[in-house]
Amino acid sequence: MKQQNFLIVVVSYIFYGWWDWRFLSLILFSTFVDYFIGLGLLNQNNQRKRKVLLLTSIIVNLGFLGFFKYYNFFLDNFVTAFSFFGSEIRADSLNIVLPVGISFYTFQTLSYSIDVYKNKLEPTKDFIAFSAFVSFFPQLVAGPIERATHLLPQFYKKRIFDYSQAVDGMRQILWGLFKKIVIADNCAEYANLIFNNSSDYSGSTLVLGALFFTFQIYCDFSGYSDIAIGTSRLFGFDLMRNFNFPYFSRDIAEFWRSWHISLSTWFRDYIYIPLGGSQVGTWMKVRNVFIIFILSGFWHGANWTFIVWGALNALYFLPLLLTKNNRNNLEKVAQGKLFPSLKETFFMLGTFGLTVFAWIFFRANNIEHAINYILCIFSPSLFSIPKFPEIEKALVTIILLIIFILIEWQGREGQYAISKLGIKWKSPLRYTLYYAIIIAIFLFGAKEQQFIYFQF
Amino acid sequence: MRKFINKILFFILPVMLLIYPIDYLISNYISESEDHAMGETKVWKDIYSGKINSGLVVYGSSRAWVQFSSKMIEDSLNISTYNLGIDGHNFKLQYFRHKELLRFNKKPKKIIMSVDIFTLQKKTDLYNHQQFLPFMLWNESIKDYTSSYTGFSTYDFNIPLYRYKGSLNSIKTVIYTLIRREPEIKRIKGYSAIVGNWNNDFYNAKSKNDFYEIKIDSATVNLFEKFINECKNNDIELSLVFSPEFIEGQHYVRNRKELISKYQNLANKYNLQFLDYSNSEICFQKQYYYNAQHLNKNGSELFTKLLIKDLKVNEKMNGEFRNKKVL
Repeated sequence: MKQQNFLIVVVSYIFYGWWDWRFLSLILFSTFVDYFIGLGLLNQNNQRKRKVLLLTSIIVNLGFLGFFKYYNFFLDNFVTAFSFFGSEIRADSLNIVLPVGISFYTFQTLSYSIDVYKNKLEPTKDFIAFSAFVSFFPQLVAGPIERATHLLPQFYKKRIFDYSQAVDGMRQILWGLFKKIVIADNCAEYANLIFNNSSDYSGSTLVLGALFFTFQIYCDFSGYSDIAIGTSRLFGFDLMRNFNFPYFSRDIAEFWRSWHISLSTWFRDYIYIPLGGSQVGTWMKVRNVFIIFILSGFWHGANWTFIVWGALNALYFLPLLLTKNNRNNLEKVAQGKLFPSLKETFFMLGTFGLTVFAWIFFRANNIEHAINYILCIFSPSLFSIPKFPEIEKALVTIILLIIFILIEWQGREGQYAISKLGIKWKSPLRYTLYYAIIIAIFLFGAKEQQFIYFQF
Repeated sequence: MRKFINKILFFILPVMLLIYPIDYLISNYISESEDHAMGETKVWKDIYSGKINSGLVVYGSSRAWVQFSSKMIEDSLNISTYNLGIDGHNFKLQYFRHKELLRFNKKPKKIIMSVDIFTLQKKTDLYNHQQFLPFMLWNESIKDYTSSYTGFSTYDFNIPLYRYKGSLNSIKTVIYTLIRREPEIKRIKGYSAIVGNWNNDFYNAKSKNDFYEIKIDSATVNLFEKFINECKNNDIELSLVFSPEFIEGQHYVRNRKELISKYQNLANKYNLQFLDYSNSEICFQKQYYYNAQHLNKNGSELFTKLLIKDLKVNEKMNGEFRNKKVL
């Protein structure tokens, strides 16, 4: 088991160092700090001193995150705020490279310190196992953000190869690749074209651009999660689920239970519930909801667009919470049925529409760009026929999207869309299905685009 | 674990066995195509299969490709002619074409080098990269000449089929070739006439920028001089031709004069014939252009006639007064 963990640490460091070896020191430093803070918490009964240890972990981890990700943002905003009140200050922005995956592994290591502090988890004395937990390569750069309580114990036992788990992992990797290469990368071409030249296009084209981005971000991120989860399964690890068919949600609460689950549950467990969650007065509930949604937006990046995106989702969510309707749709939509009811379809489309609208802020370069984009959508040109270069080529992407949505719909009760597809078929037929997916990836694969969430 | 590995191998085996034959077939069908990659593939195919062997060849960019009628030159000068103009590329890839021509074909007696404002500019994107697809697997020379451009990765050159990923155009070409659909003949002996009237390309460009300035790349200039020396050493007669541009387009390029004098100086330095059509009558007649840089079919035929006449005159003059401003 020790050797297995050691190998994972070596491979993970090589994987990360391939991008930029200098930032390995950050991971190593975080690992040391949290490992020793964990041990410190084990030997410390004095509540005050325990709090100091926890605060040290939080300050170190968030300090790195704050410096690398938010330094220039705060600086620029302070300068703007001072100039607004009439006093000009001069401050130069730094040319800071954002370490890939810093938001992910920071939150993962924080979960360890917080859980140990809260006595939810026994701190580990095994440094190699802890290093492997922090740097585990499949999910190091873009999640899922694992909880120490879930992933760390898996490093304590020897992994034995499990055939069915490995086969399932391969299937999930294949589906993740399809989502990323065929759907996300193709949608990215048109989303980028339309968003980057939005003033040139009609309202109807801009709607199409927003739709392309909606599917790009879902397939890009959930595709990566599928690849990460599938790869981990090959090594005998079970990572938490990160997406649960969010675009089939009937309300925004269901959407947030299905979208980037590892991050939303992180905020729920470590911020929302400690703040009192929904077990407080109305105004406090409103405050708590805004805090977690705005923080969730800000986690994505140092830009007001992400903050507005978070706030908008808070506004969508609040009515459900205040009317106690936020836990209405806990079971799968149209469970056991082929088609949804008219009512379900109506609510799914409504929720989808709200989500698409919010994504405009997420994708826009700045708030002004987002507002102009939206204003342009709600103009008479909304009713014109969408037009942009290579629209004929985009039709192929639209057909692929429709096929993708149908596959996702039929597989919505599984862990991922093709988890149950064809598993009872005879092997030649099943293999044909896998070959068909590979050929589709080959034929329709678009120009390679970096994973969106690598930048967060 | 063994069962898993066996199954994976069993799954991968057909792919491994078929990947090269499929690559070979696809590449073959595409290279047979007349119109793939704007007909550039056909030119490469002619080069690699040693079908050119012409006494006179024309080099240059799209301005060579659509403006120098090989057939008219061939009939008038009584020398087999092929137009090797490569669309959208500067001298670096034009020179690569020249090198490949010499490797697989007899060396020409004469080269007409169509120079233009972009010839000595550096280019980073591998425009129309599809033209290389059928020939580039394990091809070191294509790899060497295209490696400085963004477009291909090492995998494209080394893994069969990988370069066709997402190339629906290639698959379409294969299907068309398979079902023997009548191909659109893009180029005859490398030349392609564009039938059409003036379009708005130039005014669109002008609405975005008031003027355009060319940055001469010193590495490309060195390569150009290397090419001139190689021609001299190989006894290949070289003529530089600056074909007509519509007058409004000439004013649009701020340092055009600097570029012309660069070619003039090179011609003087190496005692080359330089035919400059910047002030030719055609430059003032919009009906002969489809945009500011390119003559249409009528214009290109008229220009080729002029060029033939000047080439004949120069031949008679036997090398005296080799530089000429054509009015």
